[in-house]
Order: sequence, then structure tokens, then C-alpha cells
Amino acid sequence: MCVWCELYGGGYDRWYLNPANYARRLYKIRREEAETVWIKDAPLPPGGSTVSREFIEACDRGDHETMERLKREEEQRAAVGHFGQVVTLEDALKVVDIMYPIVLMTCQCRRLMYGTPDEENFFCMGMGSGMYKWERWPDRYRGGVQVLTPEETKEVLIKMNKRGLVQGVFVFGTPYIAGLCNCDYPDCDAIRARVDYDFKLYWKGHHVAHLHPDLCNGCGNCVARCQFRAINVVPSRNKVYIDQMQCFGCGNCASICDQEAITLVGRASLPALANQW
Amino acid sequence: MLATITVDDEKCNAPLSCRKCILICPMHALGLGTSVAPRKFEEMAPKDFILRGVRLEKCTGCMECVEVCPQNAIEVSF
Repeated sequence: MCVWCELYGGGYDRWYLNPANYARRLYKIRREEAETVWIKDAPLPPGGSTVSREFIEACDRGDHETMERLKREEEQRAAVGHFGQVVTLEDALKVVDIMYPIVLMTCQCRRLMYGTPDEENFFCMGMGSGMYKWERWPDRYRGGVQVLTPEETKEVLIKMNKRGLVQGVFVFGTPYIAGLCNCDYPDCDAIRARVDYDFKLYWKGHHVAHLHPDLCNGCGNCVARCQFRAINVVPSRNKVYIDQMQCFGCGNCASICDQEAITLVGRASLPALANQW
Repeated sequence: MLATITVDDEKCNAPLSCRKCILICPMHALGLGTSVAPRKFEEMAPKDFILRGVRLEKCTGCMECVEVCPQNAIEVSF
């Protein structure tokens, strides 16, 4: 079972479907808790980076002890303050029915990673009572916010998913869920930290893609949709190969496949993957 | 070998609006940060943004960022 479901599931199928994790009272509580792990009043780190030069140097000289220590520290910080988990579009739409208000805002990762101008950068969704006070932090909310109705939010999510962006929930002070992100590699700091350095800030989702080889015609449309490097075309067989160990369960591959050769199965149904988050 | 990317912040004074180097870097090795903490009710000034080499292990040393910089603010060494 996913550790977040164990701790914060509250009897719901998944922790992020438990309304208690969106409760307004958490908005205040989380701030005090998070302040113990977040550096307050600090400049924004270049690239929004959770991966420091110290870590990259340790990798370069093969210093595994330092790498493990830095990774552990960063993961512990993330677990208390700010981490995310991949959700399918279907689950993202369920979140919209739980949380209010939701705003469309510019993405901090893309700004710091790619310098994306505000007008091209409305990919993030902020949620909850913090959104009433967004004007306090004009830099966090550069470009302003667009308040969406639940129906509009769903339309935007469906459109983003169609474009190939991966949906994920993010906490701001565990377990307060206040971010619904639309991410891609390499501009998302969380995906990049996970895929490139295996920092667990972005957790795998509750599903895994499963290929039915008889139905696959090898078109490779799914390959272009995978942000986690989990699929490739095997030219000699004219089929794709899905590395389920590498799959994050977003469902982007399944939704593009017109042969219906890919289905999502529950992570819990595969013993070797059930605890791979 | 790991690259060292140094940026002269005096010369590179508005990297968020310029971003020529970021767009040209084939490996997305560069990133933006700020030299000051975000403040309440105040937007960051363009000069508060700083350019840095971030994913240094990805830098191949192609020097395209050095060449494209209109201010000659970037140095890459190995």
C-alpha cells in the first residue's frame, strides 16, 4: 500500500480522494509544520533545484555515501513539506469535485527551469483557501491567476492531458493537497529530479500500464507521450515494450492508443510493483 | 568531467526576459534562480533573477550559451 494512503487514506480508496486532506484548517496548521523544514525567506534556488551541486559532484566522483545522505535529506524534507504523486486523468477529475476554489496559475518550475514567459506558462492549478490571498505573493503568482469553475477546471485538465501533460497532486505541508500540476520532462523539477537522479519527490501513481501485444501495431504513438522513459518501439517485432518498473501509471500511453492495446492495471495487483512508488 | 559554468551577474542583468542561453542549451543544463527572497506584495525586479548552471552533469561543453550571450556574461570551463 502507498504510505500516504496508509497514513492519510481515512478509509478512502486513495489518500488524495480523502476530503480531509483538503481541509481548510490544514492550510494554517501546515504552515507551522512546514516551516521546520523549509528555509524561510530564502532566494529561489536556480532551476528550482532540489538537486544541489554538491550532489552532482558526489555523483561525478562516485561518492555513494554522500549521494545517499543528500538524497535522504531531500526526500525527508519533501515528505514533510512538498511532494507529489502521479494521478490518472480520471482521478484528477475526481479531485476537482472535492476541492474549491481552483485557479489556473503560472508554473514556477518552468519559470526557473526554462524562463518560460508568464503568458505561455499557465500550467499549474492552485487550490484551496490560499488562492483567496494570492496577491500577497506577486512573484509566486506571476501573471496573476484565473479562477476556474469546476467545469472549466475539468475542461482544462482534459485539454492538458490530450496535449500529453502528466497530472499530479502536490502537497504543501503534508497532507494538505493544494496543487494539481500538469507536468512534463525536462521542465518539471519533480519529474526531472526523479527520472534523472531518483530523488523521490514525485511518487508513482496507483496504476501501471499493461500492454496486450496481440493488439499493438507498433505505431509508437504512446512512446511520444511517455514522460518517464518507460516505453520504446521494438522494430524487429513491430511492437512497443513497456518497462513496468519504470512506469508511473499516468495513463498517457493508454489514452492515445487507438488499438486499445494498453490498459491500466492496479499497482497493488502486481506483487513486485505493489511497493514500488 | 563536470563543467563549471560561471555567470557575471553584473552583465547578465535580465535573464528571465533575455533567456537566449536557456533556449539554445541543447541539454537544458541552465536554470534561473533569484538573488533575493520573494517579498510580500512586491514583484521581483528583473535584475533579481540570476542565471546558473544547474544540471552540470548534462553540460557537454558545446559553448553555444557562451556564443549566444549578448553580454558575454557566461564562461564554461572543464
